[in-house]
Amino acid sequence: MIKNRTVLVLFRLALGGLFIYAGIVKVIDPLGFAQEVRSYRVVGQSLSFLVAVFLPWLEIFAGLFLVSGLMKRAGAAVISGLLVFFIILIIVTMLRGLDVDCGCFGTLSRKVGPGLLLEDALMLYMGLCVLFEPRKKP
Amino acid sequence: MRKGGNDEIRTIVRQVLAIGILSVLVGAVFHFPLIKRFARGEFREAFFIREDYPGVRMIGLVEAEDLFFAPGAAVFIDARSAPEFREGRVPGAWNVPYEPSLTRIPAEILALPFEHALIVYCEGGDCQSSLELAKVLHDNGFRDIRVLTGGWEAWRQAGLPEERTHD
Repeated sequence: MIKNRTVLVLFRLALGGLFIYAGIVKVIDPLGFAQEVRSYRVVGQSLSFLVAVFLPWLEIFAGLFLVSGLMKRAGAAVISGLLVFFIILIIVTMLRGLDVDCGCFGTLSRKVGPGLLLEDALMLYMGLCVLFEPRKKP
Repeated sequence: MRKGGNDEIRTIVRQVLAIGILSVLVGAVFHFPLIKRFARGEFREAFFIREDYPGVRMIGLVEAEDLFFAPGAAVFIDARSAPEFREGRVPGAWNVPYEPSLTRIPAEILALPFEHALIVYCEGGDCQSSLELAKVLHDNGFRDIRVLTGGWEAWRQAGLPEERTHD
């Protein structure tokens, strides 16, 4: 795990910023995002709607807390948890052979595939580095 | 040391819960109008699996405008009610008022080749009738159906050409 504080600050800003952006584009078009959620064939109509209404705010607040440094470990924990879930979802979707848009960054969305898996794994690594950042010595 | 570690984990868990609760509260307030409609029974059939409707996709105003100004590139279909259609519409649009019992579409639309681009729109905002009509068109054989997000409201607000029926 990286322990250099400057690098960890950069990780926080990049990861938090990405999640804030991803959340905002989904908040702007909740029904469009619900459509993307439904396309994964994991949850039904109602749950797709509820995920689309609440998940983007979780991304935004986790990102804000991570960027601001206020509750940065909790922000990193939420984002890492979400990324673990996304990675499992991508693997399952690939194994099922479904042709799905990730629904992750609005118009910048792309197909679920190995590239997306790698991106999420990289982001998860960044999140875990922040989560397990050693405490400052007194 | 161990006690300090456990305290820290407890703090993180509490903060994670706080972020979750905050997200639910803000989401509920921000999307309150949508949640009210959901509670009334809307959106229960709104989200389709894309693979079941491969010919349906969402487009924005820019793409719709490009197709509008390219003669013969696409047919606009207005899913709103007949009075709304008469009040103002995309010039040249055809009116197919959507209602849940709609399964058959007018013969003049069926006379078009199935590959012809159709642009469907409804009132705007979060209206669902354009998407529902797109599914009916897909079920009738059409394979290039583009749903204009933002609908008539976005078209009108952008100052794009309008047409209306005078009494």
